[in-house]
Amino acid sequence: MRNSSRLQPSHIKIATCEPRIVARILIAIALFYLALFLGLPLFAVFYEALGKGWELYLEALRDPDAGSAIELTLIAAAIAVPANLIFGVAAAWAIAKFEFRGKNLLITLIDLPFAVSPVVSGMIYVLLFGAQGWLGPWLQEHDIKLIFAVPGIVLVTIFVTFPFIARELIPLMQAQGKDEEEAAVSLGASGWQTFWRITVPNIKWGLLYGVILCNARAMGEFGAVSVVSGHIRGMTNTVPLHVEILYNEYNFVAAFSVASLLALLALITLLAKSIVEYRVRKDSQTIPHGETE
Amino acid sequence: MSITIQNLNKQFGNFTALNNINLEVESGELVALLGPSGCGKTTLLRIIGGLDVQNSGNILFHGKNIAHRNARERSVGFVFQHYALFRHMTLFENVAFGLRVKPKKERHNETEIKRRVHELLQLVQLDWLADRYPAQLSGGQRQRVALARALAVEPQILLLDEPFGALDTKVRKELRRWLRRLHDELHVTSVFVTHDQEEALEVADRIVVMNKGEIEQVGSPDEVYANPGSPFVYEFIGNVNLFHSRTHALWTHQHGDAIAYVRPHDIEISSDPHPSSLTAIVKQIRAIGPTVRLETATLPDGEIVEIELSRERFNATPVSVGDKVFIYPRHIRLFEEKKKNPEFSAIAHHS
Repeated sequence: MRNSSRLQPSHIKIATCEPRIVARILIAIALFYLALFLGLPLFAVFYEALGKGWELYLEALRDPDAGSAIELTLIAAAIAVPANLIFGVAAAWAIAKFEFRGKNLLITLIDLPFAVSPVVSGMIYVLLFGAQGWLGPWLQEHDIKLIFAVPGIVLVTIFVTFPFIARELIPLMQAQGKDEEEAAVSLGASGWQTFWRITVPNIKWGLLYGVILCNARAMGEFGAVSVVSGHIRGMTNTVPLHVEILYNEYNFVAAFSVASLLALLALITLLAKSIVEYRVRKDSQTIPHGETE
Repeated sequence: MSITIQNLNKQFGNFTALNNINLEVESGELVALLGPSGCGKTTLLRIIGGLDVQNSGNILFHGKNIAHRNARERSVGFVFQHYALFRHMTLFENVAFGLRVKPKKERHNETEIKRRVHELLQLVQLDWLADRYPAQLSGGQRQRVALARALAVEPQILLLDEPFGALDTKVRKELRRWLRRLHDELHVTSVFVTHDQEEALEVADRIVVMNKGEIEQVGSPDEVYANPGSPFVYEFIGNVNLFHSRTHALWTHQHGDAIAYVRPHDIEISSDPHPSSLTAIVKQIRAIGPTVRLETATLPDGEIVEIELSRERFNATPVSVGDKVFIYPRHIRLFEEKKKNPEFSAIAHHS
């Protein structure tokens, strides 16, 4: 019975397969849903932004307040992402390669920003560092301004985005174990040599993936930043906050123009994410053991 | 380089992994740490290699205390059960790693590194795969690369943690013989961990039998097999029949509670009674290669006794299932059975 499956008449139902019509309906539902909730808004952003022509679009972006918002967003991300990169690698390393007391507590704490509403995390920072906060008087005495200033925005951005890289690396490093590091050390490698030559190459794709997600969130964060920023135009406004202000002022074209930057960031993030995922799949594909003894 | 271990202790929380270990490994020896899983053999190996730290005790390499040196400074080659090859490096780079991470002063130039790596890859017969990645190799090949990598830094001591544990039987047997030949060529002091008695008996110069964090016996393969020092070793290495003295006072010449240990091939059968023979019924006969295994049940207790005979010996007095035979031991070992202490101690030796 060669090619029996190919000779099988098409009307015979295979038990593990849904009828074709069911599959088509499911695909249609998924696509419709995506189009309605993701595709349409994305289209709307660009349509509204460019609806009145390129001139107005570019003008909105050239506005000094927009410029300073973009700058502040870039600064916050440029500090938060490297900070979380270092923290994430250190935490994942500690959790995956060592046994210590309080390990489970650390894992739980890393997830905290995912569990807490961003607005609440912003409030906590105001409570701690604000003028009426616990540390407020002390900060004022030393002339340090955190809340309603750039440092506060950077702090909450770090807080909101710190799980991304650690969460990505912990399972990866746990799966890889510490055999390779032990082998490196027994071959005479120092701690730094082991880290740069063995650990980093093994986690590089996971790390990059975490950085991409962390960056997207750092630039797009609204709630927590909104609480601590004070919305001072040209001073403490990030891109998402600037969009909100423009929108509230019925300046739709400008609002959507600036929003289109964030949408663009999302698209670039998705693209980068797919490329990394593709590379990871390619790297993990092992050639079957054709070689024999 | 010799290894001396003095009063070594290791605890993991409440669990005692190693209890007062004392051991001497001669320079150039190939020693097996043999025992069931959880007996502490891997922990001992990792402590020798500096990958784990003991709670107390000393380790001396060639008379020099190195207990406070870390793995990096011990110049020990370590071979892992699951190879631990660097997955993002070619075989060449894997083997070269130890040479490349040396401090600048001691580092060889690139030509010398190349020469040595190729020499080592030739030694493990994998020179033709130098540009491949570990994922492209079979298990046996990977373990050979791991060995070449460990040898690259010219270690004074080679430690192997269940080196063939993850391989299938045929490859394992080949690699075993290959390791023995390699050791005879290089004469580097080697310690390997195994739970496979056959592997230990075949490869090692000396065997260290471990149980529950303690050393039960140290000896040559022949000594450990022919002359086990404790009931544990008797049962762990080879098959053995147990006889309780109360039921078989005839054999044990003891009135207290003692247990007699007799190897299946140390039991003689005959069709005529012998002054100290027991009567037994043949239950099963199995011919396995050159030996014939009989399963007999003593009369009247019905205790199962295994007997192993050579084919010639069996053919000289053929028996069949259901026959009544007389059995007696050629060699017997007695251990006292203590009521309070489950440990045994040797009290007599009959031949």
